[in-house]
Amino acid sequence: MRRIKITIRLILVAILALILHYSLPQHDIVRVVNTYQERQDLNDWTRMFWARPDDQSATIINRDVQFIQTVKKKTWVLGFFQRDATEAMVYRNEDTGFSWPFYFKFDTANLQTEADDLRSTPEDPKWAVVTHYGWRNEFLSAFPNAIAIRPVASPDVRIVPWFNIFFFIFLIVAIAFLRAMWMQFRERTIDPVLDSAGDKYDEASAGLAERRGRMWRWMDTWKSKSKR
Amino acid sequence: MGFIRLVVFGFLALGVIYLSIAIYARSVHRERLEDDWAEQNPGNDDMAARRVFVDRGMVDYNTSFRPKLIGLVFVIPTIAIAAIVYVTNAN
Repeated sequence: MRRIKITIRLILVAILALILHYSLPQHDIVRVVNTYQERQDLNDWTRMFWARPDDQSATIINRDVQFIQTVKKKTWVLGFFQRDATEAMVYRNEDTGFSWPFYFKFDTANLQTEADDLRSTPEDPKWAVVTHYGWRNEFLSAFPNAIAIRPVASPDVRIVPWFNIFFFIFLIVAIAFLRAMWMQFRERTIDPVLDSAGDKYDEASAGLAERRGRMWRWMDTWKSKSKR
Repeated sequence: MGFIRLVVFGFLALGVIYLSIAIYARSVHRERLEDDWAEQNPGNDDMAARRVFVDRGMVDYNTSFRPKLIGLVFVIPTIAIAAIVYVTNAN
């Protein structure tokens, strides 16, 4: 039983971590090589790796998507440590509109122009920081969605993930608050009901044996705070 | 369409959060009033006087400015979304 509980919790934490890793913004240091536009089929389950813009019919099965081809600096551990090596990285460039994930991106065409403007050669590289979310997966043809691009003087720039820092602080505060609300609700609303039920039970069972049922002992485990 | 969906469901979600926080804040305040009573009247078992004290404290709380601050639950996310829309799309 205990093992099952731990397993279920681990699975839930893993799912949450995957969702956060997919949808929170990350930064890559890249050199833009080229941009292109390609027709994409949207009729299988990998549909979820493409955006769902507002101005698109719900039943559409293929459409053009813009892409940004880059050479990206490799990193260790979620981008916290930079490496000298580079790899190819292709971003899709799609509006997210007012739907999930909530980046409220409407400037796809502008972003494509900025990316085009930053195109450079290996001999004379122009480095840039791309903000993106999502995953690159070659087997599923999934691409991270570029949100913003800004030029930087050198590829050794230090990036502070301000949004993620504030997001996780907010998340911890929200969880602590939710916990406090639950404790308060239990102490003020559930426990008194159980107590009065307990009093009635005591009256009813005054003449009976003092053996307590399993259910009752379980209910007692819910009471933690001492009563005044 | 997406905008309307966001406004409707966002408003509903914020409404749930607003109600939860309002109930929680009142509960905490009531508990504090009960503690105050116990502190000021040690050994006093007059439950009627205690109830009058707590009820008057709750009326004072409900008419004060503090519970209205919970309305910021609607204001802050709206400002945050407007800021994100601007920052994401401004050049």
